[in-house]
Amino acid sequence: MSTESPLVVLPGESIDPSLIPTHHKNPLRLGPGLRHIPPSEIVPTVAGQLVVDNRKTSMWIEYNGGRYIPSQNDLIIGQIVRSATDFYYVSLSPYTPNATLPHLAFESATKKTRPQLSPGELVYARVSLANKHMDPELECVSPSTGKADGLGPLKDGMVFDVSLGFARRLLMAKSREEGKVEVLEALGEDGLGFEIAVGRNGKVWVNSESTKTVVLVGRALRETDEKNLGVEAQRKLVKKLVREMR
Amino acid sequence: MTIAAPEASLNALPRADGSARYSYAGYTVTASVNGPIEAQRRDEHAYEAHVDVIVRPAAGVGGTRERHLESILQSSLAQIILVKNFPRSVIQIVLQIESTPENAYVNTKLVQASLNLPIIPALFQTAVLALLSATVPMKATATSTVVAVVLEDGSKKIVADPSPKDIGEATSLHALAFTSHDELLLSESEGDFTVKEWDDVYERAQEICCQSAPKQAGVDMMLDDDASGPDMRSFLRSALETKVASDLYWK
Repeated sequence: MSTESPLVVLPGESIDPSLIPTHHKNPLRLGPGLRHIPPSEIVPTVAGQLVVDNRKTSMWIEYNGGRYIPSQNDLIIGQIVRSATDFYYVSLSPYTPNATLPHLAFESATKKTRPQLSPGELVYARVSLANKHMDPELECVSPSTGKADGLGPLKDGMVFDVSLGFARRLLMAKSREEGKVEVLEALGEDGLGFEIAVGRNGKVWVNSESTKTVVLVGRALRETDEKNLGVEAQRKLVKKLVREMR
Repeated sequence: MTIAAPEASLNALPRADGSARYSYAGYTVTASVNGPIEAQRRDEHAYEAHVDVIVRPAAGVGGTRERHLESILQSSLAQIILVKNFPRSVIQIVLQIESTPENAYVNTKLVQASLNLPIIPALFQTAVLALLSATVPMKATATSTVVAVVLEDGSKKIVADPSPKDIGEATSLHALAFTSHDELLLSESEGDFTVKEWDDVYERAQEICCQSAPKQAGVDMMLDDDASGPDMRSFLRSALETKVASDLYWK
């Protein structure tokens, strides 16, 4: 899956053509941090590690930090800023243009039965349109099935800020094996019951019946992120926090 | 005089999107980068991002000299940032000068009206590091240096990274920056000089800014290592490698 040694690239550096995956049928897919200059030049635009996946004929740059830039199909946690006639304005990160969330982009929403959200409330949504010339658009419903699939308003709970790279690791399908995040499993094993939603824009929403658990989960996540904790250290941290709480 | 190697630390400021602190040759500069963020109406451009550079002096408030430095940096940084990717937005770069080399020989307060070329490389390098730390998409990286032409025993000598004393005695001063594709990005000169002198200065600056690590491994490079000054490009690379390694510790 990954190359033998971590290959760090800087913006504008040339990539060894032998690293670029080729397939007789599947087109090459470029992920974040890479730019294609026609006809055949592929150049990194950020500093990070070049990751090549030969099976999926895709390549991208793995990096952390910076500001969230919306891209299509990202799951994000947004805060309602205000409501207009047909849509809500939603803030994804501070000082960036608001995204729009149509009033009818909720599960089984009609003109008469739609969620009434007031400024300050949170939504878990998918980015349905991201384009540099337009403000991003969101939806809380799957366009093909009409089901919410876990998206929608987030009631109660609390939001914690994490780095973009950590949010990405939490959202990985195999966050334990590939992302090396075990803090959530460890918290669950210690008998804590909580609900969690991770936004690609570096936000984590946590809810539980007890406020103590919410704070503990949030602290565990933030500490794991800020102190770059490994798997073992994460387990140790959870043990310590749980002991302190009881 | 030998100068300590350049030093940099990235992501020093917790609240900014990206930040860097850089010190070299007596200059220490901290930069923060935020962006792309929403532009105010007057800065808004329909097709590209506005690069907003703010230079803050070590003491007091900024004046004409800082505005001039800002305009020089703004135009060269906008060349390497992919501004077309973020229309109607702002990329804000704040550069705080923390310390400048003390000059025991000349009273620096008296040269208020003159250009402040020697600080350009420090400001420029910090800005590039902070932009990389904020993962702002860029076309290329860049390195910068300042070179003086000093009259010594009747002959002109080219001095890279001149000391404040050299600057005081220099007949001309030149600040240059090169992209990682070896293209000249910025050239600001001051004083009396001939075309031949400028060519020599250009060659010397290119040597400092553009030599890459593999070339330096050669034996002949090692011999005149003292004369050629630091290798800015491999410095930039090693600073970034450290940052990427700590970001991706879980890999």
